Amino acid sequence: MKLLEYEAKNILAEYGIPTPTSLLVKKGDILPTPLVLKSQVPTGGRGKAGGIILVEKDEELKPAIDKLLNLEIKGFIPNTLLAEEKLSTKKEFYLSLLIDRQFAGIKLVAHINGGIEVEVNHDFKSWPIEDKSQLEITGQELADYYQLPDQTFALQDLLKNLYECFIKNDATLIEINPLILTEENNLVAGDCKMTLDDAAAFRHEWNFEEQPAEVNFVTINPNGNTATIANGAGLAMATVDAAFEAGLTPANFLDIGGGANEETLLKAFERIVEYKNLQVIIINIFAGITRADEVARAIVAAKEKISNLPPLFIRLAGTNYEAAEKILTENNIAILPDLESALKAAKEVIHE
Amino acid sequence: MNNLFEGKNVIVQGITGAHGSFQTKAMLTAGTNVIAGTTPGKAGQEVEGIKVYDTIKDIQATHQVDISVIFVPAPYAKGAILEAITADIPLIVCITEGIPIHDMLTINKILKTSNSTLLGPNSPGALIPGGNKLGIIPADMSLRGNTAIVSRSGTLTYETMAGLTNKGMGQKYVIGIGGDVIHGIGYKECLQLFQDDPGVDKILLIGEIGGQDEIEAAEFIKKHVTKPVFAYIAGHHAPEGVQLGHAGAILGSDQESADNKTKILAAAGAKTANSITELITLVVAN
Repeated sequence: MKLLEYEAKNILAEYGIPTPTSLLVKKGDILPTPLVLKSQVPTGGRGKAGGIILVEKDEELKPAIDKLLNLEIKGFIPNTLLAEEKLSTKKEFYLSLLIDRQFAGIKLVAHINGGIEVEVNHDFKSWPIEDKSQLEITGQELADYYQLPDQTFALQDLLKNLYECFIKNDATLIEINPLILTEENNLVAGDCKMTLDDAAAFRHEWNFEEQPAEVNFVTINPNGNTATIANGAGLAMATVDAAFEAGLTPANFLDIGGGANEETLLKAFERIVEYKNLQVIIINIFAGITRADEVARAIVAAKEKISNLPPLFIRLAGTNYEAAEKILTENNIAILPDLESALKAAKEVIHE
Repeated sequence: MNNLFEGKNVIVQGITGAHGSFQTKAMLTAGTNVIAGTTPGKAGQEVEGIKVYDTIKDIQATHQVDISVIFVPAPYAKGAILEAITADIPLIVCITEGIPIHDMLTINKILKTSNSTLLGPNSPGALIPGGNKLGIIPADMSLRGNTAIVSRSGTLTYETMAGLTNKGMGQKYVIGIGGDVIHGIGYKECLQLFQDDPGVDKILLIGEIGGQDEIEAAEFIKKHVTKPVFAYIAGHHAPEGVQLGHAGAILGSDQESADNKTKILAAAGAKTANSITELITLVVAN
């Protein structure tokens, strides 16, 4: 789950990491200027898109609020604006903690030049973080790298707090960019991107604007003629690949997972029939932990509830297959022996 | 590692749960020697005629345990895996999906200095047709033989196995390493096992978009594998930056795409396919 900037900064502040003085702003609010007004959208490139406005005078505030509340950034309109004190910046740095997949551990990543163009850099410096006890030394090395020997203690504290924040919140990424050194020689988190592990939601009381991303239903081509339903991410991807290879144009990727029941299937059908060029639906289920007979019952029930459903080409296999075959046959729904024949049969009914 | 999968005495952690009990039955039907199971607080019960204990330690008082298969729900899975590690169980197979990444980081650190090997989590487990069924891979779609499958996906593993079986080509091993970002043994360990086992003559590697695992596997194949390798990477038409299903399947950069991984595997000497159907055809023809 990706947090908005103000949500991420609230968490940073709880862990003693300095953030700018700030307020959430509504339409019509009156605040003392100067201030920086920031659109709270769940995407990068906000500054370039005009989503951050420096408000110097009181009379500029109202138009700035109105403008940002209506400004769409990469498809997102903000629900919230953040007003922050204007910092006097001496220098900007990049700092992040993340989970590195290949190393299978936590890494600290830094760059001496922070800010909006940071991704063009290739010379990031990184440290594997094996344990809390190394943070003092890493903090010292970070101060050397940033060429901020006077800030060694502050950076050591910052790392300890950041690490604790990372662990306690089940974060997979905390990126502070820029980390600002002010003219008063304070280190402050200028902006923050934070991603939390959805799988850990059960042990937190998370209440954020952004909902967990929907990962199981993805539109590939809204004009496609073929909808795909499969169980398991790999099989769902392979079903899309095979549909392409067979000359069909898949509209979507859908993994109905292990709990394929009537409700999930009905929801899937309802979304699929929205595709305007849809002509066939491929269902490819290989039951392992799923049970094929439950899927068959769900298909029968869901099919009855949606009248304008295009023809189904169903391939079922695995756990409880015999029972599934019986249910579908009794309801005059054909099962095809493998995906290849299902795709071939589907191709035959497609018209341009 | 060969001996690990052929371990004799198998237990099931989380045996009284819906999945645990259903799959215990399937494992028994396939001929796996399930000797006991655990669910804390349910000692004395029976599942499919198998005795339930509170802890692994209680089982070990009277039995040697070679393998544990875990069906414990995600919030308790870390505790279950750590219990199995503490009990020095040689092979731990974790089927559970949705274990938090930070829990896996802790487990991986402890695994490094332990006597245990972990397969999974978010894995369908391993199947040796005619031998052990350790997890949820449907044994009735398998056939004893000389091919070996290693895969990151669950259902795609079954699809591949069933495809081979339909063509009369049996399998020595069918192993799902799991779809999570942080996991136990990977492609390399399985490729080494297949390379070393004289009972294997063809290797099938099934991958996905996201991560670098298949790229590292390609390097390993180039250096250490002399047997023919057949590979398919799922997700040729995946949109960039969108997570597809499980946590590991997100296309971060061009390097992690199905097309690029396929290219790198081909350069390492593997025969590559663009769909499972094509993969099976390749294996049969070569």
